[in-house]
Amino acid sequence: MYPSGRMDAITTSGLTKHYRHRELPIHRPGRPVSGPVGALEDLSIVVREGEIFGFLGPNGAGKSTTIRLLLGFLHPTSGSANVLGLDIVRDSVAIRSRVGYLPGGIALYDSLSGERLLDYLGELTGRPSTRRAELVDRLELSARTLRRPVRDYSRGMRQKIGIIQALQHDPELAILDEPSEGLDPLMQRAFYAILDDLKAAGRTIFFSSHVLSEVERVCDRVAIVRRGRLVALQNVASLLEHRKRNVELRASEGDLPRLEGVAGVSGIARTADGRLTCQLEGDVGPFLAALAGHAITDLTIEPAHLEEAFLELYEDVEPDGAAGAPPAPSTAVAAP
Amino acid sequence: MNWPLFGHLWRSQRTKLAIVALAMAAWNAFLPVIYNAFGAQMQKLVDSGVIPRQMADFGGADVFSLGGSIALGYLHPISIILVSIFAIGFATAAVAGERERGTLEVLLARPLSRRTVYVTLLAVTLTFIGLILVAASIGTVIGSAIAGVLDQLPIERLPFVWVNGLLLWGSFAAIGLAASVSFDRFTPAIGATLAIVIVSYFLYVLGSLWPDAKGLEPYSLFHYLSTREILGGTVDVLGFGLLAAVGAVAIAWALIEFPRRDLAAPS
Repeated sequence: MYPSGRMDAITTSGLTKHYRHRELPIHRPGRPVSGPVGALEDLSIVVREGEIFGFLGPNGAGKSTTIRLLLGFLHPTSGSANVLGLDIVRDSVAIRSRVGYLPGGIALYDSLSGERLLDYLGELTGRPSTRRAELVDRLELSARTLRRPVRDYSRGMRQKIGIIQALQHDPELAILDEPSEGLDPLMQRAFYAILDDLKAAGRTIFFSSHVLSEVERVCDRVAIVRRGRLVALQNVASLLEHRKRNVELRASEGDLPRLEGVAGVSGIARTADGRLTCQLEGDVGPFLAALAGHAITDLTIEPAHLEEAFLELYEDVEPDGAAGAPPAPSTAVAAP
Repeated sequence: MNWPLFGHLWRSQRTKLAIVALAMAAWNAFLPVIYNAFGAQMQKLVDSGVIPRQMADFGGADVFSLGGSIALGYLHPISIILVSIFAIGFATAAVAGERERGTLEVLLARPLSRRTVYVTLLAVTLTFIGLILVAASIGTVIGSAIAGVLDQLPIERLPFVWVNGLLLWGSFAAIGLAASVSFDRFTPAIGATLAIVIVSYFLYVLGSLWPDAKGLEPYSLFHYLSTREILGGTVDVLGFGLLAAVGAVAIAWALIEFPRRDLAAPS
């Protein structure tokens, strides 16, 4: 609890989940498994109230396992977690009354109309669907569309229904697993705007994705998991700040600056046509100072993208990149 | 118990339920008519020895008496298939089927405990079975009236027949639901339940038709469906209790297993 009365929306402490063989979520034919298989190891994170928190990782990294633990679908092997101040084991039902959840690749009751389905899920939630009209409008679902059976819906329309069912009762915390999957670019934009508004209204969003550009667009902080372990936990801005930017410059009459030894500059290469390329990390001051006095005719610095930061981070913790290697020890970097 | 879930299941199954109930009523109306039309001739055939006595007296069911023909209505494969549509098909699909389709995820994301979900599913299944058996009783009365043998029918005993049928099929449904909460996929859940029903029926048929195998009959739950005896004025309380106990064990298993098991992401 913060002095202002705000609390952490999610806290996990050493949260661990091992599957017995028969419970493995991914069947791997021909691969014998002896004993329990670790799906999540010692996860400790804090999601603050009112933030949009990105939860990143490749398929099988432990993202869905974490979400399913938080919602009570799975029981932790060890460790503990609280959602909105409630224990995930003891208070699972109370948690779900205050949380909206969009599962990845959501399956819906095909025989119902969109409207009836939303009514039904709203009745089960037991809270008034105060946001439904607004969400239907912003995601451009017409009344006529909502009267059609869900089996006639396209993938994008199903995803819109999934988003509405998760948010229609204005939950304090929304847990969204790959939420923009199947949405066209215009609808993705509308969805991001909805998230911005939810955040402005003080709602917390826990956002699982492997689409890094959207995480970069909407999230305040990200946690990155790999093979069930937390690899990093940082502000998006901080993660981008430490990423290497690609630089290309040209100078008149071959007056290229000497960048060797300049702080933050690496990977320097000169081409036969008089270009210089390098990588720049951190503060740009020393780099700009090194350019002073040179007749630079063109300079391009590509903005940092989370995707590259993400890949760099992975390269750091898995230098050999060997699949099937044992999990690296947790190297989480927690931002303040 | 959750009423929105109950209502949703009722609405989604009511057409199928109406068709099955009508078919069950028609089937049970048909047997008193058969008894009235052919009972005497069949009795003569059996008495002549052309048909072995065991073939004509299948577990207390026959077409020589009104009680026997009504009992045949409940024990005949047609009746078993009709009731199984809900007692086995619906019950086993209730959790495992939803899980396989991925819709269980959406349901359990709501503030419902798994026990509440289970109790609601059990209540819905028992309601469906109960209504099908009510339709069977109505069919029996209509058929008896059509055949002109209504005066032979002890109508006041029909509620006991209904309870007996509900206990038998409720026990199978409880086993089906227990399988449904225990498996991730529909196929093994229905496979395990059907195996239990088929083995039980096989033991019953074998015990009825083959005197040397008579000792196997009590191991079949169908043995405790005593329609003819009930209509004759005898209620096998022990049999009722045994069916209830089997159902209770299956319910207890599901109430323990469903909340404690992990529900990994559908693959």
